[in-house]
Amino acid sequence: MTSLPERARSRAQGATLVDMEHPLEPFWRGIIAYRLLTLLTVVGVTVYHLPGGYERPAAAVGVLLVMAVWTAVTSWGYLGGLPGAPDGRARLAVADLLVCVATMATTPWIVRAAHLDDGGPGMGSIWTSGAVLACAVAFRIRGGLLAALAISAALVLSKQRFGVLELGDIQLLVLAGLTVGFASHVLERTAARLRRLTAEQAAAGERERLTRSIHDGVLQVLAHVQRRGAEIGGDATELGVLAGEQETALRALLAGPGTTDARGRRDLAAALRILASDRVTVSAPGRPVELAAPVVDEVEGAVRAALANVAQHAGAGARAWVLVEELPGTLEVSVRDDGPGIPEGRLAEAEAQGRLGVSRSIRGRVEEIGGTLRLDTGPEIGTEWVIALERGQR
Amino acid sequence: MTGQNSDGAIRVMVVDDHPIWREGVARDLTERGLDVVATAPDAPAAVRIATAVRPDVVLMDLNLGPTSGVDAIAEIARTSPDSRVLVLSASGEHADVLEAVKAGALGYLVKSAGVDELLEAIRRTARGVAVFTPGLAGLVLGEYRRLAEAPKLADGAPAVPALTERETEVLRLVAKGMTAKQIAAKLVVSHRTVESHVQNTLRKLQLHNRSQLVRYAIEQGLAD
Repeated sequence: MTSLPERARSRAQGATLVDMEHPLEPFWRGIIAYRLLTLLTVVGVTVYHLPGGYERPAAAVGVLLVMAVWTAVTSWGYLGGLPGAPDGRARLAVADLLVCVATMATTPWIVRAAHLDDGGPGMGSIWTSGAVLACAVAFRIRGGLLAALAISAALVLSKQRFGVLELGDIQLLVLAGLTVGFASHVLERTAARLRRLTAEQAAAGERERLTRSIHDGVLQVLAHVQRRGAEIGGDATELGVLAGEQETALRALLAGPGTTDARGRRDLAAALRILASDRVTVSAPGRPVELAAPVVDEVEGAVRAALANVAQHAGAGARAWVLVEELPGTLEVSVRDDGPGIPEGRLAEAEAQGRLGVSRSIRGRVEEIGGTLRLDTGPEIGTEWVIALERGQR
Repeated sequence: MTGQNSDGAIRVMVVDDHPIWREGVARDLTERGLDVVATAPDAPAAVRIATAVRPDVVLMDLNLGPTSGVDAIAEIARTSPDSRVLVLSASGEHADVLEAVKAGALGYLVKSAGVDELLEAIRRTARGVAVFTPGLAGLVLGEYRRLAEAPKLADGAPAVPALTERETEVLRLVAKGMTAKQIAAKLVVSHRTVESHVQNTLRKLQLHNRSQLVRYAIEQGLAD
């Protein structure tokens, strides 16, 4: 729950954060302004018609007073001042709608029929349209539309008339409810996207900060333990290996898989670098290799499948190298292992062993994104998968 | 120039801001018969000491707290041109490694490399032979591609260096994890030819970097 002074302060600190966290705030404030203006209008019109227009002028003044008080209550509530705010505003909007309908319902009792015949307004009049806007902001398109229909029904029933005048009012009410409801919906969605991007950026920033401090401490010590372990030998060797694995894992964690930017693009190099381990080396250009995020996902999946294939078929001791290379017109990602390779003429056998089953799963992913897959293999060079993508589709 | 002192031991300087690591490496290298002539915890000290001591090999971490190892490498290349720099980094900061190599480092090794691998790399560096990991080859390939695709510079700008077809082929095979021996066998050339191709790719990049710095200095009116 935010108090008024807090809200004022956060507004003063800069609108961006407030806009992002509470994108509909300006709408609520707009409704309050609209409410006040329409109240003044209705008061003016009622006072002007007070001699002669009303069956019970005292009651008309009383209803105006109630409207003024209710305007004050809703203003306070729509600013977020009521308990349960800001969620309480949805309930307040419904209450607002009921109060408006009740106000309009007093029309037959207070206003002269002749006055209505002359085109004079019923009780509440234009002031009641504020409730439609409030419901539209609180419940989006559906809320705006239903509130507009409720007020329209109240308008027709309370005045017991249905002419060009009423039809025009109804059109405006429905239009306002739909427009404001739709705008609220779009604004909320945009703000949600912005929030997600900001959170990703904050996470990346925090990761960078952590990386800097961990680099100088934990990573150095792990690397040192790894080296000393290998030096000392015996049981210490295992400790060294464990430290080495943790160093690689921690470094990958700190580097992160890269985030999707506002244009929906992601760095393929960062995504693949987290696959590095003591058996897998990932080489890529120093600058980001940006592709559409779904393309990066598929390539990453294909490389993972190829690496899993290496672990399964080339032996536990096999090493693998992943290379990301930008060529004129194409982007190539190759995964090579130093295993025994697939000797010529044994592809069919390899297929029977399930080795080309993996090939199908890699190929499927690559073809999904319009790329091509090549397999180079031989006893001297190990097995190499080459994924090629047109750089135009970047 | 043999890169060795009168005992035949390679004179090494270890630069790292982390004392445990610095002393540990220095001890390992001494035990293996190398002559660790100095250690330094940050970039300014590294430059000052290297200029005075002129080691054969500077073993350099890039992550030196608030100071940058890359700047120190450029400075050492200027003030102690006979010292060769080998980057030993725990960092996954690929851009930094590339900058370090462009600034004049002769090679790059990750800290998780074994002692034997480190010793071999120091010996190669002392001989003036580039130390290429697959990761570095990938970075260098990417850098040449970036240079080739960069917008054409104005007249008088240093020509953008390009790889020959053979150099590209060799670098690509290095990046795919093949050893110099395997590459030599595959391309039917000598081991030495492979190494000189690799060496050239680095030298062209460093020359380009230096000429660009000079050009920048002239443009800024900083050159004497």
